[in-house]
Amino acid sequence: MTAHPMTPIDTSVEDTRPLTFRERHASQIRQWRLYAHMFRKSFSSMLGLSLVVLFLLLAAIGPLIVPYPEAASGAINMSAKLQPPSSTYWFGTDEMGADIFSRVIIGARTSLWIGVVITGIAAIVGITLGIIAGYRGGWVRAVIMRVTELFLAVPGLALALAIVAALGPGITNCVLALAIVWWPGYVRLVEAKTLSIKEELFIESARSIGAKTPWILWHHILPNCMSPIIVKMSMDMGMAILSAASLGFIGLGAQPPSPEWGSMISVARTYMPDWWWYSLFPGAAIFLTVLGFNLLGDGLRDILDPRSRDR
Amino acid sequence: MTALLDIKNYRLDIGTFDGPVHVLKGINLSVNRGDTLGIVGESGSGKTVLVRSVLGIGPRNSKVVEGSISFGGQDITNLPEKDWTKIRGIRISMIFQDPMTYLNPLFTIGRQISDVIAAHEKAAGAGVSSRAARRARTEELLDQVGLPNPSMLFSQYPHQLSGGMRQRILIAMALAGKPDILIADEPTTALDVTVQAQVLDLINSLVEKLNLTVIMISHDIGAIATVAKRCAVMYKGEIVEQGMTQDILNRPQHEYTQRLLAAVPDIDVEPERVAAQAADAKPAKRSNLLEAIDLKKVYRSQSGTDFTAVNSISLAVKTGEIFGVVGESGSGKSTLARMLMRLIEPTSGDIIFDGQNISGLSGEPLRQMRRHMQFVFQNPHSALNGRHTIGDAIGEPLRIQTNMSRRDIEARAEALLDIVQLPKMFKYRYPHELSGGQKQRVCIARAIALNPRLLILDEPTSALDISVQAQVLDFLQELRSELNLTYVFISHNLAVIRQICDHTIVMKRGEIVEQGDTEQIFLSPREEYTKALIESGRKTSQAANLQV
Amino acid sequence: MLTFAFRKLLTLVGTMIGIAALTFLITNVAPGDPARLVAGPNATEDMVATIRTEYGLDKSLPEQFIVYMGELVRGDLGTSIVTTRPVLEEVMRYAPATLELVFVAMFLGIVIGVPLGMLSAVYKDGPLDQVTRIFSISGVAIPAFWFGILLQLMFSVDLEWLPVSGRLPLVTRPPEFVTGLLLVDSLIAGNFSTFWVSLQHIILPAIVLSFPCLASILRVNRAEMIEVLQSDYIVAARAHGISSFRIVALYALKNAMLPTLAMIGLRFGWMLGSTVLVETVFDWPGIGLYAVSSALSSDFKPVVGVTLMIGFFFIVANTLVDLAYAWIDPRLRKA
Repeated sequence: MTAHPMTPIDTSVEDTRPLTFRERHASQIRQWRLYAHMFRKSFSSMLGLSLVVLFLLLAAIGPLIVPYPEAASGAINMSAKLQPPSSTYWFGTDEMGADIFSRVIIGARTSLWIGVVITGIAAIVGITLGIIAGYRGGWVRAVIMRVTELFLAVPGLALALAIVAALGPGITNCVLALAIVWWPGYVRLVEAKTLSIKEELFIESARSIGAKTPWILWHHILPNCMSPIIVKMSMDMGMAILSAASLGFIGLGAQPPSPEWGSMISVARTYMPDWWWYSLFPGAAIFLTVLGFNLLGDGLRDILDPRSRDR
Repeated sequence: MTALLDIKNYRLDIGTFDGPVHVLKGINLSVNRGDTLGIVGESGSGKTVLVRSVLGIGPRNSKVVEGSISFGGQDITNLPEKDWTKIRGIRISMIFQDPMTYLNPLFTIGRQISDVIAAHEKAAGAGVSSRAARRARTEELLDQVGLPNPSMLFSQYPHQLSGGMRQRILIAMALAGKPDILIADEPTTALDVTVQAQVLDLINSLVEKLNLTVIMISHDIGAIATVAKRCAVMYKGEIVEQGMTQDILNRPQHEYTQRLLAAVPDIDVEPERVAAQAADAKPAKRSNLLEAIDLKKVYRSQSGTDFTAVNSISLAVKTGEIFGVVGESGSGKSTLARMLMRLIEPTSGDIIFDGQNISGLSGEPLRQMRRHMQFVFQNPHSALNGRHTIGDAIGEPLRIQTNMSRRDIEARAEALLDIVQLPKMFKYRYPHELSGGQKQRVCIARAIALNPRLLILDEPTSALDISVQAQVLDFLQELRSELNLTYVFISHNLAVIRQICDHTIVMKRGEIVEQGDTEQIFLSPREEYTKALIESGRKTSQAANLQV
Repeated sequence: MLTFAFRKLLTLVGTMIGIAALTFLITNVAPGDPARLVAGPNATEDMVATIRTEYGLDKSLPEQFIVYMGELVRGDLGTSIVTTRPVLEEVMRYAPATLELVFVAMFLGIVIGVPLGMLSAVYKDGPLDQVTRIFSISGVAIPAFWFGILLQLMFSVDLEWLPVSGRLPLVTRPPEFVTGLLLVDSLIAGNFSTFWVSLQHIILPAIVLSFPCLASILRVNRAEMIEVLQSDYIVAARAHGISSFRIVALYALKNAMLPTLAMIGLRFGWMLGSTVLVETVFDWPGIGLYAVSSALSSDFKPVVGVTLMIGFFFIVANTLVDLAYAWIDPRLRKA
């Protein structure tokens, strides 16, 4: 039993005057200030946020600000091929003479939509199935969980490789394949969370006032599952981008000359070790992006997960 | 003679986001060898923090602002960790509250106790004795705390034992080092009434046999009075009163102590019925509002064995009465309550509510029926969804069951807050910002939002502090006469049952042992079990202890 | 305990059948004609039709599935188009290389990850904790293929300390085949120079493969240790005077090992998947490289064969983890 410090509620404001916005939302305001305070305190969380913001910014306006926008579409400029980093070409040029700096920045947009689509599909499918499996129980749960476990029984990248091999190489198929192997993680997370929330008294309380199942799922279970889901989605944005780049590297994902970081390295590998800059910069872009999303997710977990909360 | 333990003007702060919280404010306390000191206080009084500071395991982020703790003449206020190893567990040891979480689930009982013995031998510098010698000592300790078959227990794991046995094992562990001071932190709170009495007896006999110095903290004055000769009362981080236990119980000086003692329900006092007048106004012959006929619940475990939680129970609740259900944990009383409301499906049997058999209802008719009977849960802390404001929580039944507009619901929620005597602005607050008693009032407001006729209250006060419990009980009785409600009141606390129930059934292992008029049961119980239950209830009740 | 092991074995067989069904579905439900896939991009209509009959692709799906399962039970994983040899034979030939790599990487991950996680938890928020935090998050975020290239640049090209790729130099004769693991076989043969050379070859790919695994083992172990160290029974152990070292290294670690074990099982599978990347970078002749080169030449049977194989290894590993769980946790033993 620990003495839990509690803010005493000011009950003096109990007259007829309508309450101001600040008074009505005092609880939320305090909560958000606490979140902000904890987040700001952590260097790694702030670093993660900065990296993610930078990445989103580049994805939004990248194509407008790069020095050589035509580099993205595979324009050929053989006179400037494989030049080392210089003031003209910050990250050097590739075997077609395209500016690597421009291609890396434009690649942010590709990566963003890869991440959003994979994570989005996986989360929607996974949360729906997970919440149903956890709440309904019985044979519904058995079927959903068996299928989920089956998918989880094969390492994601290996399964995605097999699927892409069947569908044929290409960025769309690669994203599709990754989405197919990605949803089971959400099912498992949400199912476990739902199972534990289901046992809480407030669920029974809702049933006792006659709430129907969809109401309970939407108003009671889902909001209480959200913290770990948000954390996982943040982390998965990074991991999905990394996996798509991996397939690109193998040669089954995005096909050159499309400006995707993984496939850039795939080509660059053949120009090792003399033209080192060619693979260095796209790789660094992947690393920083994934790092950003992971640090952000980690920071969010620290403030959202009460178990890891120290104060 | 200097005191064995001397706490002088001790102040402790805990740093939080909202600034430092003063947890302990100028504590002065001394314990002599051979003393038995009790510290009484409700949750948040700082009693646990105080005794943990004595052991050097106080909360993190805490800071000693002023004062000192000395033990055997040595100042231990800011003792470095390595010096603690000579004191902690050896000269001062502790019995903890919840015996399940305080034993490591992955190690055998024998291993855990003999490790403690080894640690003590090492600290004493005597060298660790042989495995067999430690085993012998462990079994001796297990025997000492009254556990049967110590040699078998030695190789068992915590999950294989009952709560009472685990508590005895914790006591054995604490005794391993022949400590100068034994601290007992709410040693009976997590246990059943009959087991509580046994554990208190054990502590008493050990005090006598081993001449122990004991500090026991508890929210339960009865338990303190059974063990402690001296006693201190803590309130909001301060000791408001200390002295001989008997004096404090008989002549409490401080206003808080008086309030606290008055709040303890007394098992041996015939209650003045608050609701008696309301009952008189009704015709003599009252109809049955709720009936259960041959109700049965059988659970089938995965291994295929059947467990009968509730076995062939029939009961009849009359309109306007408070119907008590009393029993220890595992008696099936909560299962019964949930079946009456169809929250758990009965295996067989019928439930008749207001002349209608509701055991076959499903879908929309069942939903409609729920308007008329509501449930108040044991633990208000988890009965409210932490993501919803109080206003949402109270308005939820109205949103689900009626077509009222958003504005009407808001107004009704405010009116309900008024009924349960909470300020209107609470509707913007979240559950974690409220105290336990306030939360339970919110739960009650939620339960009466649809104007039900029957409330089933499942241990509505057992998670609350004693003084709050008294308030909520009074309030419940007022509410009943105001709104014309019928209650089914479930409790393990006999004193509470006697205080408010008209008719009572006593349950044991899923069956009714005895039933009848509440006063009759308490004055002349027919069954042995009922007698034993009342007897152990008496031990932890106030009146008996005044005669100590 | 025995019935528990037996039940796990049954689950193992069930999951294997499930994975077979899954791979079957992927092959057959995927848009596109499997016959055309087998025939290759340049095949004529006639050739595709011949292949369709030859492979039984004109039958109904359930019929095809039964045929497929029958073949699997007999150990027939089909034939590779490129090499025209049985897939099973080839997978078996490549599997030891992959397993050797994964074992060494796993060993590194556990031996470094668990103690570091433990120390970071004990000295939470201290300098070591800060370093391991950055280290562990970078570990998960770094693209394995890129990291491999960087290491090659540095240690092989620049410093010339270690070989760039492969398992053994072409001039070295591999030791007599016993387990297929070169490190073990060379020791059995008593050939220490071969052992040394193969060790040099395995270091870089093993580091690349183990880095993310090490990072997540570290993180899980740290988080669990922190939680366990705050638990009531640890508080009690402290209050009873048990030494800090014993509490951390025995009492808390055993409790924290449960989730860590789960992570080790999970990461084992993840590593098997990642071999497709690492083996590509380091030209490591294992099943990962085999799968990638087959996939790139639209040779589908080997890809499915490797997927099945990886799934099989993963399930076996998870079954072992489950057994270890029951061994550690007495609460799981009855059943």
